[in-house]
Amino acid sequence: MARMKFLCDAERCIECNGCVTACKQEHEVPWGVNRRRVVTINDGVIGAEKSISVACMHCSDAPCMAVCPVDCFYRTDDGVVLHDKDLCIGCGYCFYACPFGAPQFPQAGAFGLRGKMDKCTFCAGGPEADKSEAEFKKYGRNRLAEGKLPACAEMCSTKALLGGDGDVIADIYRERVTRRGKGSEVWGWGTAYGQGKGGSAPAPAGAKS
Amino acid sequence: MRAGIMKRVVLVAVLAAFGATGCMEVEQASTGQKQGKYQGKPDGKPWDNDPLAIGAGNAKWTKGDKLSWETQVKARNNGQNEYKRIGD
Amino acid sequence: MLLTRKSAGGAVAPQSRLTRSLSGVLGKTIDRRTFLKRSGVSVGAGAVATQLPFNMLGKAEAADAPAGKVEVKRTVCTHCSVGCSLDAVVENGVWVRHEPVFDSPINLGSHCAKGASIREHGITADSHRLKYPMKLENGKYKRISWDVALDEISKKMLQIKKESGPDALFLVGSSKHNNEQSYLLCKWARLWGSNNTDHQARICHSTTVAGVANTWGYGAMTNSYNDMQNTKCALYIGSNAAEAHPVSVMHMLHAKENGAKMIVVDPRFTRTAAKADEYVRIRSGTDIPFLFGILHQVFANGWEDKKYINDRVYGMDKVREEVKQWTPEEVERVAGVPQEQLKRVAETFAKNRPSTLVWCMGQTQHSIGNAMVRASCILQLALGNIGVSGGGANIFRGHDNVQGATDIGPNPDSLPGYYGLAPGAFAHWAKVWNVDLEWLKKQYAPGMMAKSGMTVSRWIDGVLEKNENIDQDSNLRAMIFWGHSPNSQSRGLEMVEAMKRLDLTVVIDPYPSATAAMSAMVRKDGVYLLPAATQLETSGSCTASNRSLQWREKVIDPLFEARTDQMIMYQLAQKLGFGDQLVGKKDGKQSIKLVKGKGGMDEPEMEDTLREVNRGAWTIGYTGQSPERLKAHMRNMHVFDVKTLRAKGGVDKETGYDLTGDYFGLPWPCYGTAAIKHPGSPNLYDTSKSMMDGGGNFRANFGVEKDGVNLLAEDGSHSKGAEITTGYPEFDHVLMKKLGWWDDLTEEEKAAAEGKNWKTDLSGGIQRVTMKHGCHPWGNAKARAVVWNFPDGVPKHREPLYSPRADLVDKYPTHDDKKAFWRLPTLFKSVQQKNKDIGKQFPMILTSGRLVEYEGGGEETRSNPWLAELQQDNFVEINPKAAADRGIRNGEYVWVSTPSGAKIKVKALVTERVGADTCFIPFHFSGWWQGQDMLAFYPEGAAPIVRGEAVNTATTYGYDSVTMMQETKTTLCQVAKA
Repeated sequence: MARMKFLCDAERCIECNGCVTACKQEHEVPWGVNRRRVVTINDGVIGAEKSISVACMHCSDAPCMAVCPVDCFYRTDDGVVLHDKDLCIGCGYCFYACPFGAPQFPQAGAFGLRGKMDKCTFCAGGPEADKSEAEFKKYGRNRLAEGKLPACAEMCSTKALLGGDGDVIADIYRERVTRRGKGSEVWGWGTAYGQGKGGSAPAPAGAKS
Repeated sequence: MRAGIMKRVVLVAVLAAFGATGCMEVEQASTGQKQGKYQGKPDGKPWDNDPLAIGAGNAKWTKGDKLSWETQVKARNNGQNEYKRIGD
Repeated sequence: MLLTRKSAGGAVAPQSRLTRSLSGVLGKTIDRRTFLKRSGVSVGAGAVATQLPFNMLGKAEAADAPAGKVEVKRTVCTHCSVGCSLDAVVENGVWVRHEPVFDSPINLGSHCAKGASIREHGITADSHRLKYPMKLENGKYKRISWDVALDEISKKMLQIKKESGPDALFLVGSSKHNNEQSYLLCKWARLWGSNNTDHQARICHSTTVAGVANTWGYGAMTNSYNDMQNTKCALYIGSNAAEAHPVSVMHMLHAKENGAKMIVVDPRFTRTAAKADEYVRIRSGTDIPFLFGILHQVFANGWEDKKYINDRVYGMDKVREEVKQWTPEEVERVAGVPQEQLKRVAETFAKNRPSTLVWCMGQTQHSIGNAMVRASCILQLALGNIGVSGGGANIFRGHDNVQGATDIGPNPDSLPGYYGLAPGAFAHWAKVWNVDLEWLKKQYAPGMMAKSGMTVSRWIDGVLEKNENIDQDSNLRAMIFWGHSPNSQSRGLEMVEAMKRLDLTVVIDPYPSATAAMSAMVRKDGVYLLPAATQLETSGSCTASNRSLQWREKVIDPLFEARTDQMIMYQLAQKLGFGDQLVGKKDGKQSIKLVKGKGGMDEPEMEDTLREVNRGAWTIGYTGQSPERLKAHMRNMHVFDVKTLRAKGGVDKETGYDLTGDYFGLPWPCYGTAAIKHPGSPNLYDTSKSMMDGGGNFRANFGVEKDGVNLLAEDGSHSKGAEITTGYPEFDHVLMKKLGWWDDLTEEEKAAAEGKNWKTDLSGGIQRVTMKHGCHPWGNAKARAVVWNFPDGVPKHREPLYSPRADLVDKYPTHDDKKAFWRLPTLFKSVQQKNKDIGKQFPMILTSGRLVEYEGGGEETRSNPWLAELQQDNFVEINPKAAADRGIRNGEYVWVSTPSGAKIKVKALVTERVGADTCFIPFHFSGWWQGQDMLAFYPEGAAPIVRGEAVNTATTYGYDSVTMMQETKTTLCQVAKA
C-alpha cells in the first residue's frame, strides 16, 4: 500500500525555488501564501551551507490533527494529511503544533477570503468532488486523481525534492547515498542503534525499507 | 454561483451540528468519542477517477482499482529518478 | 579592423594537378607526404587562399478558439540557455496546465523557479504586459492604433535616413528571439542599410565567442550540459550555475554522486560554491593569475599532455614563458588565493581527467575578458581536455537563444553564420536571400558596408560622442530596442542623457521595459511602444548552449494586441520599402512563404525561414537541421540517451523518419543538407569519432604556417577514419580537384561548386564529398595558444580600469587608448591612470550577477507574481566586517556610490558570501532611479510588480579590447547607511 512522502536531498537542493513556483502555478496560490518554501541554513558559511525545501510533511501521527479543536483534518488511504476548509475555524492551533511551519493563514485571495488555514495537499485536493471547480478553488489541483505526483517534486531542478510512495523515494534516495559513499547515517541506523566502530553507520543494504 | 450557495448550506449545517452538541447539558466536555475523529465531508479516492485523456503523459489505470492506480503512481515516480532515464 | 583576418594573398604553390586515375591507384588514406604533394599545400609556401575573409567577432485576452478543445503543445522554456522542454496544456485557447517532460534528455522534466512559473505568460488577469501600441505625448504614454504607430514610426525613420543616412539608426535586437526571427532581423538591418545592430551576446559572451573562435574554431560551448555527466572534475570559474543555469546542476550533481570532483572559483561563495568539494575565493578580475597559477603547477610537475600539445596546439612554448611569473607567491599576492590551495586545486584538476572548465560572465565581463577566456582555453589545451567527452570548455550561455542569435542573428560585424562583412559575404547571402546585390549596396551609405557597426554596449557614445570623433557620418539619432533591456548596459547616468537627445525611440517588447520609464523620465515625446508576442505565442527553433536546436510549438495566440516579431518586421519593412526583399520576392520567385498570422495578417513562415537559413549557413552547419528533422526530435525525445544525447534507434511515427544515430537537436555543426543525415556534433573537435558520427578537429582558419611553424595538425591527428591522416587546410574547389575528389560531385553540384569553397558552395556538394572521405570541410589545424591578431597574443593579466590595487597598476597596466574601435574612440590607460588612487575614496570592489528568480534586465520576470514574491527588493551583499565598520545593519537601506557619480539605494544583505573587500548587487532590477520609484513613468498597468535600483545606473566606464564587452564584473564603490 502506497504511503505518500516527501524527502528533500540536501546534497542536491540548490535553493532554486523551482518547487515553490511549481506549487504556486499549479494551484494558483495567492501572493503571501507559501505552501512550500526553501530554507537555507548557515547561509554564506563555507562548508556549512545547506538548503532544504519544506512543506507539510504529511505526518503519520500528525500533530495538527491531534490538536485541531474542530477535527477538520483527515488522512487519506495513501497517507496524505488533508483538511476540510469549511469546518476549519482558522484558529491557528495547528500552526503551534506543526514542527515545519506548514499551515498558512492567508489574508486575501482565493484561499483566504474567510481567513482559514491553507497548506500543502500533496497535490491531492480536498473534500470536494475530485477535479471539480470547487476543489480547485479551495484546495488546488488534484494531481493524484490524475495519476500524477506533486508538481514541486516532479519539477525539481536537480531532483533534490522527491515526492511519492515512501518505498519508491526511499529507493531513489538510497541509491544516491550509496553512490556518494556518505550520508548513510541519515537512514537512522546510527541514530537508532548507536554508531558503529569508527563512528560510521553500516552501509545501507540493497533491501527495501 | 451555485457552488457558492452549496458551500454556505454545508457550512450552516456543520455549524448547526456543533451548536446542538454545545447546548446539550450532559456533554460539557468532550467525551473523546468525537475528538480525534474527522468531522468534515468525506473525500473521494484518487483511483475512483478516470485517467485524463490528454496532458497526463501515459497515465493509465482502471477506474476504481486501487492497485492499478498505485502501479501507475509508482511508475510515474521514476520521473524523479534520473538514474532510470540515464540507465546508469 | 584589427581582428578581421585578411584573405591571404592567394599564393598556392603551383604543383601538378592530380588525375583521377592517380587517385584511383592510391590507397584510401592519404598520409602527410602524399597529401602535401597532391594538394600543393606546403609549409612555408604561404597560406591557402580563401574566398571570404572571416570575421570572428560578434559572434560574437485569449484569442478565439474552438470551444472545448484541449491540446498539448510542446515548447521550450524561454528563460535560459539550458533549453528545458515543457508540455503546455491548452484548453479553448487558454494555457491551463504545465506538465513536465520527463522524456527530455536535457531537463528530464526539471525546472527552476523561472521555468516552473512560465505558465504565467498565458494569464491575462492582472497582466503587466504592454497591451497595445503607445506613444509618449506630453510626458504620458497614450494608447494608439497599430496603423498609426507603424505609420508614424516609419515616416520618422525615413526622414532621419534622408537627413542623416541609415547609420543614424541603431537597432538593438534580441537573444530572446528565436533563430528565424534573429536571422530575419539580421537581414532586416542590412536591407535598411546599416551594420549598426547588436544584441545581448555583446554584453554576455562576446569575449568568449571571439576568444574561443580565434583559438580553435567557432565560438561556442564545446561539449554540453549532458556531457558533464562524463567528467571526472569540473572547475567553475565565474559561473553561478545553481542560480543562472539550475537544471544544468542536475547533470553535475549526478556526476559528483558518481565520483566527479567539483571546484568553484568565484569572488562570492555562491549557491554553486555551496555544492562544491572545494571553493576558491579570488579577487574579482584576477582570473588570469589564477588560471596561469594552475598552469604553472601543471608545467612544473609535468602534468601537461605533451603529445596533444605537439600534435594539436600552436604556440604553447610562448605561453610557458608567460606562465613562469605566476608562481604561487605572485598568485597569492595578486588574486588572494592561498598557495597550498592553489597547488591542491591544480593537482585535482590535472589528475582527474577528463576535466572540464565552466565559465560565464564572471570571466567575460572585463576589459581583458578576451584574454581571460583564452587563458581558460589554454589550460584545457595543455591538459588535452578539448575534443574529449567529459572535458571541454563548457561555456554556459545566458538567454535561451543567445547562441542562435550569435550564430545567425543581428550582429554588427557579420552576416548570418559568421560570414563577416566582406563583399563575398554579401554576395553569398544576397543570393540566398534572393535579393539584388546592387540594390543592397545602394541601401548602405558609401563605404559603410564592410565596416563593423557600433555595439550595444556603446550606443550611448554613438549618441553623445563629438561627431568628429566617430567613424560614421552622423551621430545616432534613433534607437529601436527590439527585446532588450537598457538596464543591462553600464553607465546608466550617461544613458539617460543619450535618451534625452534621441529623435526617435521605439520599444518593441512584450513588456514596456525600463526604456519606456527612463525615456519618460527625461523627455516629453518621441517614444513609441509596440507590444510584441512572446516566444510562447509563436513557433520556431532555438539553440541551447550546447548548440542543440529545439523546435517550439506555438502555445497560445499573441495576447492583447501583441503581434509576433516576424509580423512586425514584415510590416515595418513594407512601410520602409523593403518588404519584398525581406521575404526574397524577386523575378517571380519568393524565398520565404507568407502565412496568415494574427487577425489574418501576413507574416513570414518560420519553417520556411529556417529552410532559408539551411540553404545559406554552411560555415557552422546550420544546414542539416530542417524543420522536419527538428520536429521529429521533439516528438521522440525518449529515444535520446542522456549522457551522449544520441538516439540508439527509433522511427518517428508521424513521418517515418529514422532517428537512429542522430544527436538530440542536431547540435551544430550539422553539415551538408538534411538529406545526407549528418547527426550533429555533440562535442566539438573530437577526433575519436568520424565526421559522419559527429567527430571533428580544430579549424584551419589562420593559414598553414606562422613564422615557419606548421599550423596544421601533425601526422596521425585527425578525426577517426579520415582519408587524410595529417593536417589539411579548408576545402575549396581547387583542393577538391587536386585531391581527385572533384568527380565525386554530381553535375549539378559541380556547376554550383565551381569557384567556391566549403562555406559558399550552395549545393553542399563540397561538404558532402569531403565528409564522404571522412574529412572536415573546415580543414584540420592546430588550436592557437597564441592569438597573434589580438592585442595580447598570449593572455596577460591587466588590472581593471578601476582597480582597488594601486600597487599593482604599474606592474599590470591596462591597454593604451584606442582611437577608432567599432566606430568609436575607446579609453583604457587614460581612465586607469586618472583613477589610480580612486580606491581610497571607493574602497570596495563592486561586482554583479544573477538571481535564480529573474532573468536579464528582469522586467518580464519581475512582472510575474509567482517570481516577484520571492525577491521583492534589490540588495547589496556586504561582509559583516565591512558592514560593522560602516554601522550598517542587515536589512537596512544603504547608498552605494561609485566613481561614475551615481548613487543607488538598496537594502543591505550582511553576509559572509562576500569577502570584506567585495560587494555584490544583482543586475535584474530597474524602476528606481537614485532612490526614486519610477512608477509614474511607466504606462499605466504595465509597470513590473517589483521595482528596484538598477546596478548599472552606477557602473563605470570600461570595455574589452577586442569586443567592446563592458567591464561590469569589476568596479569600485563605497557603501553608506541611508
